[in-house]
Amino acid sequence: MRWILLLFIGLSWPALADLEYSLKPRLIAPDTWLLEGSTDNFAKANGGNIVNTAFIVTERGVVVIDTGPSKRYGEAMRKVIAATTDKPVIEVWLTHHHPDHVLGNQAFSDVPIAALAGTTELLHQQGDAMAENMYRLVGDWMRGTEVVLPNRTLEPGVKSFGNHDLRVLSLGGHTGADLAILDQQTGVLFAGDLVFYQRALTTPNSPGLAVWLADIATLQALPWTRVVPGHGPVATDAKPFEQMRDYLSWLDQLLRAGAAQGSDMSEMIRSPIPERFAGINLSRYELIRSVSHLYPRYERAQMSRVDSTAGK
Amino acid sequence: MNWRASCLLAVWLPIAAHAADIDPGKDPVPSVMWAFYHKQMLGDAPFVFDDRVKLLAPPFAEDARQVPLEIDARAFKGDVVKILAWAELNPLPKIVDFQPVTGVLPWLSIRIRIEQATPLRAAVLTRDGLWHVGSTLIDAAGGGCTAPSVVRTQPGWEEHIGEVLGGRYPRGEFSRVRVQVAHPMDNGMVSGIPEFFINHAELRDQNDQVLARLELFPAVSENPNLTFDIEGAGQTRLLLRDNSGNEFDAAIP
Repeated sequence: MRWILLLFIGLSWPALADLEYSLKPRLIAPDTWLLEGSTDNFAKANGGNIVNTAFIVTERGVVVIDTGPSKRYGEAMRKVIAATTDKPVIEVWLTHHHPDHVLGNQAFSDVPIAALAGTTELLHQQGDAMAENMYRLVGDWMRGTEVVLPNRTLEPGVKSFGNHDLRVLSLGGHTGADLAILDQQTGVLFAGDLVFYQRALTTPNSPGLAVWLADIATLQALPWTRVVPGHGPVATDAKPFEQMRDYLSWLDQLLRAGAAQGSDMSEMIRSPIPERFAGINLSRYELIRSVSHLYPRYERAQMSRVDSTAGK
Repeated sequence: MNWRASCLLAVWLPIAAHAADIDPGKDPVPSVMWAFYHKQMLGDAPFVFDDRVKLLAPPFAEDARQVPLEIDARAFKGDVVKILAWAELNPLPKIVDFQPVTGVLPWLSIRIRIEQATPLRAAVLTRDGLWHVGSTLIDAAGGGCTAPSVVRTQPGWEEHIGEVLGGRYPRGEFSRVRVQVAHPMDNGMVSGIPEFFINHAELRDQNDQVLARLELFPAVSENPNLTFDIEGAGQTRLLLRDNSGNEFDAAIP
């Protein structure tokens, strides 16, 4: 029996050891560290590390921006922070409620976790279902992961951490409650998932593409020097905004024209994707999802009441 | 006419005598249930797996309660008696029995619920008595059949039952007609809510000629969406009936 147990431990040890996020922090501005994820979809091969998270080492302590897709990721992030600075983590800010940004919260349960009020509400409503879906998508990486709700509410304005003043922007094009953060000293703009770059944007909770386009204009007008998208590489130029505007406008026009012609969803998901978006990862996959999320609104706008009780 | 009766009719057609001669070909999707459904849906009648019947669905269900399905049997225009569609691994597999009579193309789009990843089938009966079976696979996180109703969470939903949104979209030789009917389409699988769904629909032209008949089943999504391609001019009438006997009437100009 003991031998069987030893054999079992021997066999399972390498499998467990494989599930290690190798997070490599990169200094993108003074005191500002980025943990860049891939632009792929959730998969068992990547453990859901498809997201950009960050931390700022201020003179008062470390401010963490998003906690990643799992408890294991949150713990790995905590280790990376401890290896980078002696300063304690003093606050976590969540950009929005989607699972890849908030399911590492358990590793930060000893510090205040702050988010927009709408984000906390959405996470309360949808968190468990989203976490369940993450178990399905990435499997054992999620072991022990549970939803931890924020316990502080962020209001628009500027919050000072001594040598870093962080401007809080309350926007909503991606989920209805989207936080963007501008570091007024370094000019780094943490755009959250309001900006996807070289990775197709996702729309499951979007209130509408017009809202999102307006948010892009708001962000671009800020005095930023670097843009950190929620997914995709950091940029020092306006290309992420241009790509977002181009893609959102194309998607809006596509859905509008399809509805005006009476196309059905199954036809819409086969629409050609312009060549200029060839570099954007997962555009077909996300078009299929976006048609499901958004097209019903467009098609209803092209229909009218035709039943015999209408107007009675 | 119920399914069994129509399947019996199919067996009586002359092709039955040659059933043994017809090679159905290879099933294009991995299925553990084809033999069962061949018997249950088609009454063991002769069939072929036929890629001329295009059954188009997304590769995965983003929303398992509203999965778009397009059935295209235009390759058999003029020869189609009926089209049966089902989702093999659904607890309630039947989707629709569509009988284009005249002036409507053998093409239909509809939204359905699926409970898990499953093969989907559309079987087209042609006038020679042969079933042509189109197939596809869809992946899903699942739960679409047992998810709580969205309609029932909306206050005053009862007031809106039977309201129809519609539109006509000219497309050259035919015009596309789309309708969306307010109805919960309860499938009896959500606790404490019995079956309550639209089970019959009929399309008529401006002279009250029947264009098509449909039997609908509870795999159809709530607030059903239906799209048809109609030849000929003038308004199209849609007559609907649910299993509680409510009747609804709409006219798409």
